[in-house]
Amino acid sequence: MAPGAQFAAKRLGKELTKISKGLPAGIVLVQGDNFEEWLLDIQVLDSNPLYMGQTYRLKFKFGSSYPIEPPEVVFVKLPDRPIPIHPHIYSNGIICLDLLGQQGWSPVQNVESVCMSLQSMLTGNTKNERPPGDEEFVRGNRLRPKDIDFYYHDNNV
Amino acid sequence: MEPRNEELDVPNLTDWLNTPLAGLMPVEQAFRCHVCKDFYNSPMLTSCNHTFCSICIRRYLSTDPTCPLCRAKVEEVKLRGNWALREAVDAFVQARDTLLQVARKPVAAPSPPKRKAAEYDETHTDGRENKRHRMSTRSRRVKGGEVTAAMMREEYDAIESDDSTYSEPDDGLVACPICQKRMKVNQVDPHLEASCVGPPDEQSSSASRSRGNPNSNSRSARPAVQISPQKTRPERLPALAYSMIKDGALRKKMAELGLSTAGSRPMLERRHQEWVIIWNANCDSAKPKKRFELLHDLEVWEKTMGTRAPTSSRAAILGAQIKDKNFDREGWANKNKNSFQDLIANARRTRNQVEKQNREASEEQQKDSEKQRHEQLPEVMDLTGPSSQPEGKYKAEGKSKAEVEGEGESKVEMDIPLDEGFHPADYSPEPPHYGILEQPKEMQYVPHQGPVPPGNAEMPIQSKPTFLPQ
Repeated sequence: MAPGAQFAAKRLGKELTKISKGLPAGIVLVQGDNFEEWLLDIQVLDSNPLYMGQTYRLKFKFGSSYPIEPPEVVFVKLPDRPIPIHPHIYSNGIICLDLLGQQGWSPVQNVESVCMSLQSMLTGNTKNERPPGDEEFVRGNRLRPKDIDFYYHDNNV
Repeated sequence: MEPRNEELDVPNLTDWLNTPLAGLMPVEQAFRCHVCKDFYNSPMLTSCNHTFCSICIRRYLSTDPTCPLCRAKVEEVKLRGNWALREAVDAFVQARDTLLQVARKPVAAPSPPKRKAAEYDETHTDGRENKRHRMSTRSRRVKGGEVTAAMMREEYDAIESDDSTYSEPDDGLVACPICQKRMKVNQVDPHLEASCVGPPDEQSSSASRSRGNPNSNSRSARPAVQISPQKTRPERLPALAYSMIKDGALRKKMAELGLSTAGSRPMLERRHQEWVIIWNANCDSAKPKKRFELLHDLEVWEKTMGTRAPTSSRAAILGAQIKDKNFDREGWANKNKNSFQDLIANARRTRNQVEKQNREASEEQQKDSEKQRHEQLPEVMDLTGPSSQPEGKYKAEGKSKAEVEGEGESKVEMDIPLDEGFHPADYSPEPPHYGILEQPKEMQYVPHQGPVPPGNAEMPIQSKPTFLPQ
């Protein structure tokens, strides 16, 4: 086997095997039958009133350079899967988290660790608000999440 | 001979779960690379004392010169091989199958009947997958001491069954069930865990090595103990500062390396970079691959990474270049400034001509219709008016027409990132407008041969919005 796309597939295969043996509480793999796109559901387990009783759908997209390059991770809106309210999550599902950007990403991260980071990002939040400029961004954005220049200013996430 | 499997269904950490040897899970974890999650392949130590596979860390450093674990600065030239770990990993991988067989065995069964070696192998390779669950639950009930006893019994069984097929020398020793090395009974277990090197038919050289055969010249097994002169190893390749090297020089260098020099500049750079990664990682390997194998790897890489598009047209390559995250937008704008201005001027001229023609035509028709309506020209007319475009322009620039058109096509290409599966529509109900609205008006009149592209040349250069949440 050679480097390249198989590199990503191999790594994802390993993650999948591990995931099939169990995920941390509140994380469920919904769909993972290929090495390009996975769907996962996450829940916030503590009693944060903002997120209690809700389940959120995450979509992971993996490029051929995964895990050297970060996956693209967004929340997906479905009838029973809202977009969680958070000052760093736009209402179209795009997440502003340095972990998912070129700078913050490290190949030692994996799908499970990303889900857990998002869980804790939600758990720790008390603000019932969207990011500033959310409406404008959602209306005007034509870029893929990875091409957006986020400015990570908040270290308390 | 590498321990890594070709299929995706490779030995996994979780194999140890629910077996009496579950304690080996963290051990195996420690033998696996944090990046590829596979057993370390030529482990390299960084200056911050973290370890990764050679190819993993080299590939990552080519995108970001920091340690994936602690973010410390890491220089590729300062990577050092972690040979002791390499030995440990190789030894563990060798012993792993046996250990796993033992771990998954139904040990509660009272002294199993003698079996022939062949049968022994069959039951434990073919039946392994199906029986995994049942065996592991059963074996969990058994206490540690019994497990060890049962393990020993199994080993003896295997050895005894060997006796029935081979004549055993009466030296009071037993043969290792794996490598056939002869030793005292109580040495078998430690040997299996620590130093057994695998079946003798597959690895005659390894086996002889572990017996301390002085003729062994392979330096991979005991480099620290067997002081053998280093084989002449291939030299590592230095990284190139691509921004400092001219096209011709790069092509020459790649030709010297025996690499293809086909394709655009960015393709050459990526190909060269990947070759340096593959080559240098191979230099760290205990069993370096042959050059042609590496070239094959490079070829596969090039195919799977999509850099060599099926129609590797100039336009497509330029498009890929422009899509790249490191694309130098300002540089591109400056470099092609003249070209863009020419196109704008052309577009204006064409537009004026068409307007003039239309005005004249409308004046003629003035008698039977109102002329004012024709004064407002539909924009489409402007864009599809290449007939009046001076052909001489192409020659004036010393470029072939095809080349100029190629550039035109590439401008189409750079709007393509959207075709990679991310549709803006996913995130917004509005149809994409590709940022064209932010352009000066005249930019919309760039003439194109063929269909009007969805965007225009300078779009990605100027219109990349920066979203600052604060």
